[in-house]
Amino acid sequence: MTKTLIGKRVLRNEDPRLLTGQAQFVDDVEIPGLLHAAFLRSDHAHARLLGMDVSAARQRPGVVAVFTAEDMGDDWQPGPPLVSPPPTAKDVLFYSRRQVPLVKDKVRHAGEAMAVVIAESRYIAEDAVEDIVVDLEPLETVVDLEKALQPGSPLVHDDLESNLAAHLSQKKGDYETARRQADLVLKRRIVIDRGAAAAMENRGIVADWDEKSQHLTVWDTTQAPIPIRNGLAARLGLSENQVRVIAPFIGGGFGPKMMMFYAEEMVIPWAAMKLKRPIKWIEDRRENFYATTQERGQIHDVEIALSRDGHILGLKDVFLHDTGAYDPYGLTIPLNTQCHAMGGYDIKNYSTDVSVVFTNKTLVTPVRGAGRPQGIYIIERLLDIASKELGIDAVEIRKRNLIPADAFPYKHGIIDQAFSPLILDSGNYWPVMQKALEMIGYEKFVRDEQPRLRKEGRHVGIAITPFIESTGVGPYEGARVTVEASGRIHVATGVGTQGQGHFTSFAQVVAQQLGVAVSDVRIVSGDTAEFHWGTGTFASRGAVVAGNAIHAAASIVRRKVLELASKELQTPQDELELEGGMVRVADIPDKSISLGELAARANPLRGAVEPGTEPGLEATSYFGPRYGATAFGTHAMILEIDPETMMIEIKRYVTVEDCGTVLNPLILEGQIHGGVSLGIGNAYYEKLHFDENGQLLNASFADYLIPSATEMPRIEVGHMETRSPLNELGTKGVGEAGTIPVPALFAQAVENALADRELEILETPLSPNRLYELWSQKEAR
Amino acid sequence: MRIEGQYTFDGPREVLWELLQDPKVLAACLPGTQSLRQVGEHEYEGEIGVRVGPISGAFAGQLTVTNEVPPVSSTLTVEGKGKVGFLKGVGNIDMTEQGPGKTLMKYTGEVQIGGKVASVGQRLFDSVSRGMIEQALGKLNEMLKARVASR
Amino acid sequence: MRKLFDLALTVNGTRHEQAVEPRTLLSDFLRHDLGLTGTHVGCEHGVCGACTVLLDGEPVRSCLLFAVQAHGHSVTTVEGLGAIDQLHPVQEAFRQAHGVQCGFCTPGILTTVVAFLEGNPDPSEEEIREALSGNLCRCTGYQHIVDAVRLAAQTSKTAHEQPAR
Repeated sequence: MTKTLIGKRVLRNEDPRLLTGQAQFVDDVEIPGLLHAAFLRSDHAHARLLGMDVSAARQRPGVVAVFTAEDMGDDWQPGPPLVSPPPTAKDVLFYSRRQVPLVKDKVRHAGEAMAVVIAESRYIAEDAVEDIVVDLEPLETVVDLEKALQPGSPLVHDDLESNLAAHLSQKKGDYETARRQADLVLKRRIVIDRGAAAAMENRGIVADWDEKSQHLTVWDTTQAPIPIRNGLAARLGLSENQVRVIAPFIGGGFGPKMMMFYAEEMVIPWAAMKLKRPIKWIEDRRENFYATTQERGQIHDVEIALSRDGHILGLKDVFLHDTGAYDPYGLTIPLNTQCHAMGGYDIKNYSTDVSVVFTNKTLVTPVRGAGRPQGIYIIERLLDIASKELGIDAVEIRKRNLIPADAFPYKHGIIDQAFSPLILDSGNYWPVMQKALEMIGYEKFVRDEQPRLRKEGRHVGIAITPFIESTGVGPYEGARVTVEASGRIHVATGVGTQGQGHFTSFAQVVAQQLGVAVSDVRIVSGDTAEFHWGTGTFASRGAVVAGNAIHAAASIVRRKVLELASKELQTPQDELELEGGMVRVADIPDKSISLGELAARANPLRGAVEPGTEPGLEATSYFGPRYGATAFGTHAMILEIDPETMMIEIKRYVTVEDCGTVLNPLILEGQIHGGVSLGIGNAYYEKLHFDENGQLLNASFADYLIPSATEMPRIEVGHMETRSPLNELGTKGVGEAGTIPVPALFAQAVENALADRELEILETPLSPNRLYELWSQKEAR
Repeated sequence: MRIEGQYTFDGPREVLWELLQDPKVLAACLPGTQSLRQVGEHEYEGEIGVRVGPISGAFAGQLTVTNEVPPVSSTLTVEGKGKVGFLKGVGNIDMTEQGPGKTLMKYTGEVQIGGKVASVGQRLFDSVSRGMIEQALGKLNEMLKARVASR
Repeated sequence: MRKLFDLALTVNGTRHEQAVEPRTLLSDFLRHDLGLTGTHVGCEHGVCGACTVLLDGEPVRSCLLFAVQAHGHSVTTVEGLGAIDQLHPVQEAFRQAHGVQCGFCTPGILTTVVAFLEGNPDPSEEEIREALSGNLCRCTGYQHIVDAVRLAAQTSKTAHEQPAR
């Protein structure tokens, strides 16, 4: 093996197809006889369904069928629970209520699907949806988290006593004692509101039931094709092998496409089997805002206890988490919040208590960050406030509390989203923060430039935010690596791909082991016919978990290659090299054999084989980490604000990322850039506005503002590498890192820029309007 | 959301009040009204076509008038629904004489909208509704002047 | 049965004649009637720009046009820019600069950029970002896209400077 491919800026294998419009996305699938679906969705957020008259819709020319909950009969079942509460946690209360295929008795959020029309075209289907007459009795809506828990509140789920969906308390050490010993105790209420993932591609599904071969093929914009296959088979009474789920090219996932058994995913395959015709449903953008999951709504009452010199003695957090109308995803998001509220700090006493609340709003499941941004926001805001109260520099107070390098693996003891005890595997935190400080020129800016700018009357602020990111969680993923007779390598893995470059980064891992060109490694991901064991792409785990499974499989194939080549070339293994698709004897380049030739010899058509030999040059391996690897990073920003318009200009944006071994720096940078853009959206431009009737008031890109090229700054990305001991490649995930610290960073920067008003920002998202309100409420000093 | 404003009419309060009791007058004034009929002493039903930004559609609705203190004030309750959403509103009108032949009408109301018209049109709803009201009251004023002139 | 319109237009240099419903969007006509699925639909509100194609060389939102409005005109989609084995220089620049992640917004950006660079062969970063402000991307944060446009402009400039030698 000569040059290393791990860590190389290799150009992406998949780009030529994507660039020329030749990549297949779900809506590009065409099947002869394809029918099209449109859903009737509720305008009301909370209402009793008294009746529905679909007769006019059924009679419209071009309409093949109209289905309601009643038509589904016994096949009508709510979705399966996706994540159970942690079996290892002690005080857990959990009421599982899952989304339904079509509304049967009660509408629980605006946009909930009530009926489906199947027609010759989407145009006709939408016309027919308007033919349906619905009798809904509007009910009082539950929208405010605190009011939802008050006695007498309307109930989202009538069979429960209240709108409490779940409750979980966790403890570490003894907060009350720590509090008594503190020199400073700060208490604050922090409010965080919802944002959407808003991938450019909306959801979609094509289901094709072949009656003759008794086989169901489903194309789905899902991040989890394998669980979808298994669940659909179970729901439809089929064997898993009768169902093939393909997640082709996906136009961005960001979390909501990991939610499984959306209403449409339950209805369309069922309808396809019923009608014995292929059916396609593609979500439109407005539906996406209502019917695709969202995240971030929480209200925190936090308390921090510190010593005079800024050491955090303890932290206490009591919070409410908005789960929307149903809670299929368990406690994943609040657990992440609980685990990230301590940041990368050495906090020995911690008490956290979450109440999950049902509301008449769209379901909440992870969106890039998945509860982590909220945790980081809490601790970073508290440290900023403490730094001001104690008169300790904002950087210094963090430095004093960061977990030292010799303390790893650092055991927190509380349970994380993967049901394991939270352990931070490795890290070297302060140097990462230091690097960020250097890159942005923190000291010089604060000492020289900022005072000068302030004298000129300009409002320029600087901020720095360290953070941790839990990544690479189990349970496991798998992969199969095969050398083909052509000499090309075929790799199949279960995780899907939504733009993060798996086709290339995974190919690098294999090419590294087998000495082939990256472009000669063909990766197939997200097709259950190719590989059917695994979970999906989420929690920044693709490269870590699937990557390591691929690495393991490729290593076994390498071993087989060397064993066979050694026999064929009659040379000891340690004198052989793999390079350029060939196995060569070192120093005798003519004595060689190609991988393709070896593969052919490993799969003879005649002759006897030795007992115990496996045919071909192939291996399947699985990887499951003992626990998730924790990455660390720091973002820093210089920001100017115009206090009259509250419009901002980001002058500099720096990130330093330590995610262990980097597979492809080009792809890594792309992930950071994209994550930061979502983070900036979360911090300053994006907020889902629900009114008191559960109506979403900004369900289009005209009113829900995601950053465009003119809002985004240039991002400078720095790296450090502290290997993870949890896997052979030493990698940690990084998919969500760009997003996590941004709201906290923003708040710090804005307070710093508008320092003459001494703002204390305890909410996110902000917006120019909101910031103006906060600014006006404060008298100038 | 809140809707409030005022309008000065060129005519006496009593005549204005008379006009407001006539469904044909209301139908003629409110832009987009396709039909309006009285179904009870204080109840009306009708259809109205509305355009709010990119969203346009018909609403079928009920209007109820209560708390009548002729010719001073009354409360109007509206409920409408259609393919593009639903609407609920309660409003009060209050009329005072402003000298001979002039009446000042003040109106305040709370409106809730839902469905497509809310999620895509909400931002524009305020100005659209104000525009509709201005147009309606302007037309009503013309009819008032005509009726006064004909007496 | 709705009344159909006899549509005739040129797409990527090929003439097409087809009877369509007047209400058929140009984006749907291209994608489903002609099978040119490279143009993507992200919002149907005209905001995200994923559906951008060139109408007589000018970028337009195909989701806001009826196919019949393109009658007698010439449309260029991403498929008309280049092929897998022969990428258009702008496509090649995107490859080099990693300006693609999920690829969904990409075709709309490519057509926008091709038209932009024609009128603006040597743009500043600010001008590039301004030109891209009508195309939303959720994956890349735009940085590598801006780099790709710069690279494309650079490459084209160099190519133009060479013939003199």
